[in-house]
Parts: sequence; C-alpha cells; structure tokens
Amino acid sequence: MKKILTFLVTLVILLLPACNTLSVLPDAPQAVTYPVTNPTQSDSAEELPITDPEEEQVSIDYAKNFTLDYKDGYKLLTVSVPWMGATESMVYALVPEGFDSTIDLEGVTVIQTPIDSIVSLSSTYLPFLEQIGELESLVAVDTADYIYNEEVRHWASSGMIAQVGSGPSVDVEKMIELNPDLIMTSATGMAEYDTHPVLEQAGLPVVINSDYLEQDPLGRAEWGKFIAAFFEKEAQADQLFDEMVQRYEAAKALTSTITDKANVFINTPYEGTWYMAGSESYAAILLRDAGAHYLWDDLEGTSAWPVDFEAVVDRAKEAEFWVNVGFANSLSDLTAIDSRTADFKAFQEGKVYNNNARVSDMGGTDYYESGVANPDVVLLDLIKIFYPELAGEHEFFYYQQLGE
Amino acid sequence: MMQQDQLKSKPQAIKGSRLWLFALLFFLLLVVVGLNLSYGSVKIPLGDILKVLTGQEGVKESWAYIIQNYRLPKIATAILAGIALSASGLQMQTMFRNPLADPFILGINSGASLGVALAIMGASLAGGLFVPALNAAGGLGLILAASIGAGLVMGLILLVGKRVNNPTSLLILGLMFGHATSALVSLLIYFSAPEKVKAYNIWSYGAFSGVTWEQLHLFFPVILVALGILFFLPKGLNGLLLGEDYAKTMGLNVDRLRLLILLSASILSGTVTAFCGPIGFIGVAVPHIARNIFKTSNHKLLIPAVILIGAVVAVTADLIAQLPGSQFVLPINVITSLFGAPFVLWIVLKRKRGAASFNV
Repeated sequence: MKKILTFLVTLVILLLPACNTLSVLPDAPQAVTYPVTNPTQSDSAEELPITDPEEEQVSIDYAKNFTLDYKDGYKLLTVSVPWMGATESMVYALVPEGFDSTIDLEGVTVIQTPIDSIVSLSSTYLPFLEQIGELESLVAVDTADYIYNEEVRHWASSGMIAQVGSGPSVDVEKMIELNPDLIMTSATGMAEYDTHPVLEQAGLPVVINSDYLEQDPLGRAEWGKFIAAFFEKEAQADQLFDEMVQRYEAAKALTSTITDKANVFINTPYEGTWYMAGSESYAAILLRDAGAHYLWDDLEGTSAWPVDFEAVVDRAKEAEFWVNVGFANSLSDLTAIDSRTADFKAFQEGKVYNNNARVSDMGGTDYYESGVANPDVVLLDLIKIFYPELAGEHEFFYYQQLGE
Repeated sequence: MMQQDQLKSKPQAIKGSRLWLFALLFFLLLVVVGLNLSYGSVKIPLGDILKVLTGQEGVKESWAYIIQNYRLPKIATAILAGIALSASGLQMQTMFRNPLADPFILGINSGASLGVALAIMGASLAGGLFVPALNAAGGLGLILAASIGAGLVMGLILLVGKRVNNPTSLLILGLMFGHATSALVSLLIYFSAPEKVKAYNIWSYGAFSGVTWEQLHLFFPVILVALGILFFLPKGLNGLLLGEDYAKTMGLNVDRLRLLILLSASILSGTVTAFCGPIGFIGVAVPHIARNIFKTSNHKLLIPAVILIGAVVAVTADLIAQLPGSQFVLPINVITSLFGAPFVLWIVLKRKRGAASFNV
C-alpha cells in the first residue's frame, strides 16, 4: 500500500510543473503577442519603413550586448547577453501608443511607450535618466543606501519614492501597488539571486539591463540610449552620447603620442592576495586610453585574478602610480589593510589616487554611478594623474590624491 | 583495558624507537620550510635566497624584500598556525572523546567570524565603519574584532564549563552558538554592498600571507603562552581519555583540568582565526595523523607529535597554495581540504584499530 501511495504522490509531483506552465502561460507578459513578420527573415526587404519619417534612426556603435532595430511602427530592443554566460537573448518590442498592428514574435516582451514611470534597481541607470530629464519618472529604487545622487536619496528618505530591495525577496506587493510602466534590473541567470522571475510571475513589466557586462567605457555609456528608448528619447540620448564620445576621443588623443608610458597598478592586497583586473576590463581599458601602462595587461579577459603579494612586489614595487585602491581614503587606510603597502614607491612618493572623491555617507560612490555615463570625465581625471601637463584646466572630479 | 596497557608501556617508548620519528619529522619540517622559502610566484635563485638569509649584499632589492617581508613572515605564521590548530584540535578530541571534534567545535571561530563580519559589513548598518575599523589599533582592527568575538565566546564557554559537569552541554552550546552567529552573519551579508561581502568572503577563505612581522610580535607570544598551559596537561589528558571517573580515581581535579584545556584550546584556535581567518581541516586531521604515525594515545608523545606534524602540514599546504611558478594564489582552505581529506581517509582506512583511542 505504502509503495503505491508513494508512487502516486511522485506522479502528482512530477505532473504539477506541467500543469503550472499551462495555467500560468496565458497570464504571463510574454504571451501578449501580435501577428507580425519575423525580423530576422525579412531583414533584406525591410530597410525602408518607419512610421514617423521625422524620427531619426539611432544606431548603436560601441555597446556589444544590445541592439536597437526600427521596425514597421515599433522598435525592437534586443539584449543579446542579459547575463554572463546567457545562451538566449531578451527581446523587447517598444510599441508606441495607438499602435494598431499586431506582433507575433515568440518570447518578446511588449512595452508600451513612452513610459511615464520607472523603477530602477541599479544606481547606474540614474545618470542616464537625469541626462534626458526623466529622473522625476522614478517611482522606486532598490535601496537608497548605495546611491550617490543627492536628489534621489532625498526623495527616498522623505518617502517620495519607494525602496523595494532586490533579488527574489524583492517587495513584489509594493511594486504591484506602484504599478510602474517599467522595472529595470540586472540579472545573473541564477534564480536564487535574480529579481526578474518573481516580478514576471506577478505580471509586472521587467526589462533586463546588462550594462555592467559592457567593458568598453563608451559601450557601457551607450546603454543610456537603451534606457532613453523607453521614453522615446533615444535621439536626445544619442546626441548627448555623440558629444561625449567626441570629448572622450579628444582626451584619448592627448596621450596618443606618448612613448614613455607611466607604469600603474591597481587595487589593494587583502590577506596577502591581490586582485588584479584582466586587460579587457573596464578599468584596464580606461588606463590604456589614458596612455598609461597597466602592469598586469598580460592578464586575459575581463574578470579579476588573485595575484600573489610577492608577484606584485616583484612587478610593481618601483611603479610610479597606484590607483583604484578600494575603500582607502588616505595612505594610513592602506597601511591598515597591510603595513607592507608603505614600501611601494608610489606610496612613498604620494602618487596614490582613488576614484572615491565623491562618496555619500553610506558609501554610494559616484564613480560607479554618474561615472558610467561620463567616461570622458573619468578619462581626463586619469590623464591628469599620469600627465598633468596634458590635462590643461581639468580639475579632478571622480579621483582624489590620497593624503596622510 | 587495552588502553591502560598502552599507557603504561609509554615511558620506555618515548626514550626508544620513537625518537627517530621525531627526528624524521623535524627534518621533514626543514625540507618543506626550505621549499616554501625557495619556491613562490616569483622565481628567485637559491643562491640569492641564501645571500638574503645570511645578510649579504648584491641581491635584487625587490627579491630581498620578498624574502624578508613576505616569505619569512608567511612561513612563521604557517608554522605557528599549524601548531596551534593541531594542539587545539587534539585537546578538543580528547576532552570530548570524539574523533570528529575540531578546534572550532566550541564556536570559537563563529565568534571571531561575527566580530569580523560586524567590522566589515556592520558599516552598512552603522554608516561607514569599515575603514575606521581597519584603522583601529594601528592596523589591527580586524584582528581585534575577531579576538573580541572569539574572546566573548571563550568567556561564555568557561563560564558554562564551570557550572556543568557534562562536556556534552558544552558541545551543544558551541553548536547553538554557531547557528546563531551564522544567522547573524547571513543577515549582515544580506544587507551589505557586494564589495563588502567579498571582503568578508576573502577573510573567510583563510590566509597565512596577510600576517606581517609587526603582527607576529603579538601572534607569537600569545600562542607560546597557550602552548605553555598545554605542556602541564599531558597527564590529565591521558586521564580524561579513559573517562572522567577514571581521571578522578587518578586523583585529578577534573573541573580545573577542563577549564585549563578550554582556556588553552580556545586561545590557540581563537588567535589563529583572528590573524589568519578560519583555517579548516588542520585541527581535525593532524591529531589523527599523529596517533597513526606514533601508534599511541599517550599525550606525552602526542603533544610534541601534533606540534611537529601540524607545522609540516601547514607549511606544505601553503607551499601548494602559492602555485609555485605562477603569479596566482589559491585560498589555503581549499588546499587543506582538497589534499587533506583523501589523505586522512587513507590513514583511517589503513588503520586496523579504527577509532580505538576514543573507546568507541
């Protein structure tokens, strides 16, 4: 008897998920589909039609992880790499109000534009909202603790916008009550950390933004267009972006002729291990564009490698510059982490710089916030560190020189 | 009965055939120390290493620096930590008469972890405490935080240890304390910025290479004092191994004995955790290795044996963790467990008498 019971219970358990998917599907946002031709098949024939002839087509030139395609009367945003190692892309159809045709693309999330309200679950989206004058569309953030933007922090502390947390325990009830037009979040692909599955389950409009995977500083800044597209303001974002690119390229050109490059290393030791960023990482690319020689540019890829303290001594003890030193606000913070840091030449000559000139009380660092939208300013800061004579009148914005 | 015979036969054994085992272990220690000194991420020729050690000139400045300020303090730390954890583990296994006991069974490292977690991540709750916490006491902030945490747990254990006459209550206390602290640490992690969580995680991997000469000035004497207590205890530990009743008939003051063991073992493991982070496995494995090599459960032999073997194991683990020849380094805990577990399994399976020394 017991065996038969167990078998029956197992059977029911096995069948349950199948029933679930069937019953849940009609409610899921993906299921809102409209009959329209598949974009990949009809690319050759479809160069011409855009609904609004005055609307400029914005191109994506630096970002590798998303594309923007103009279709017949609507836009298609494709996040090709929604998280590291993702095998499938996320596709969002941005349909303007009054769009009367139908789209039948499978697995496409349809968002009605322009949106009026947005929930931002990462502080990196805020500078882009500010750029296009949509910061006031913000109705909630994940937490204000790590946000630098003073206005947003004020709104959060005075209760004008909500704080909803993130991850699977995100405040779904609050979000349903707020009923935002869009929730933007990053994702890891692991259900135990991700926010979007629970939100999608609740039928909320979620969009995944993977700006942090973009290593080219200009590519990362180009995600401003991604955000702007939902407000139908990508043309404005495009113009701001182009101007920024020109400033970035001009700054980069300042150091292009330098042959005797400044040697620089980054980060701090921790319990004898020193994490060094790979040569294709955001930080390494900025150092390269600033005309410096990053001493670990032989490390492959974008992630950080655990390097032995003694290997760092061997290579960097006589290096002239030391930047991006984690939490440190002063040289004594560094000796507190490891007293041996005081024996590096860069320390002794006081040429240690950190990107935490602008930090909120709780530790929100503007370098990681508005710095994402303004890599040209970051680059000029770095150039001023390595080659002050080339930086002209530029004043430090994100960086500061560490004192005693 | 068998054990009583074993114990009685010990005095002759110490003088006799086992002396060469000690000599061999000491030689082995010299070898692994030599290897650890000469192999690292940076390739330094043996001649240059000898020059540095003997104080001669003419060695590349950064190499001399690496040997003096990185490799030597790291080896000294590994030796001290290996000794302390093994000695602490031996005491716990004997006192609880449990082969699975380790130095952290009383929750000492849970206390230390909570202290460090508060120092690193409590900043999110109290507002930017992290760097001040590191800065406190001249760079000893984290060590201080861990020591306070470990010390509080130790005090609690000693207090309870005085009142209860059953070691099992202590075990349960340690276990419960472990659960409570890990819940609090999880809570802190939940509310913390990713980089702080990472800083805490790195601490929890354990490392010998973060300890500097200045810190060794503190580390060394504390370990020495706690080991000093242990050297008065072999007779009592032998007695406890045969059961508390038996120990009482031997005329031992069991309550006082238990407090001394708790004091010595807690200081040893708490100090190592404070300076190096929670280093796993050595404390539970080395006493087993010692019992097997020396085929004894007499603490007059076992104490010096775990001290030597502990040092050898820790220095060897560190040697492997440095991945000689590459510039990368692995967490020490990965090595101790990855290489240690199969080794101990092999030893236990090879041994015919099983866990006989625990009367099981």
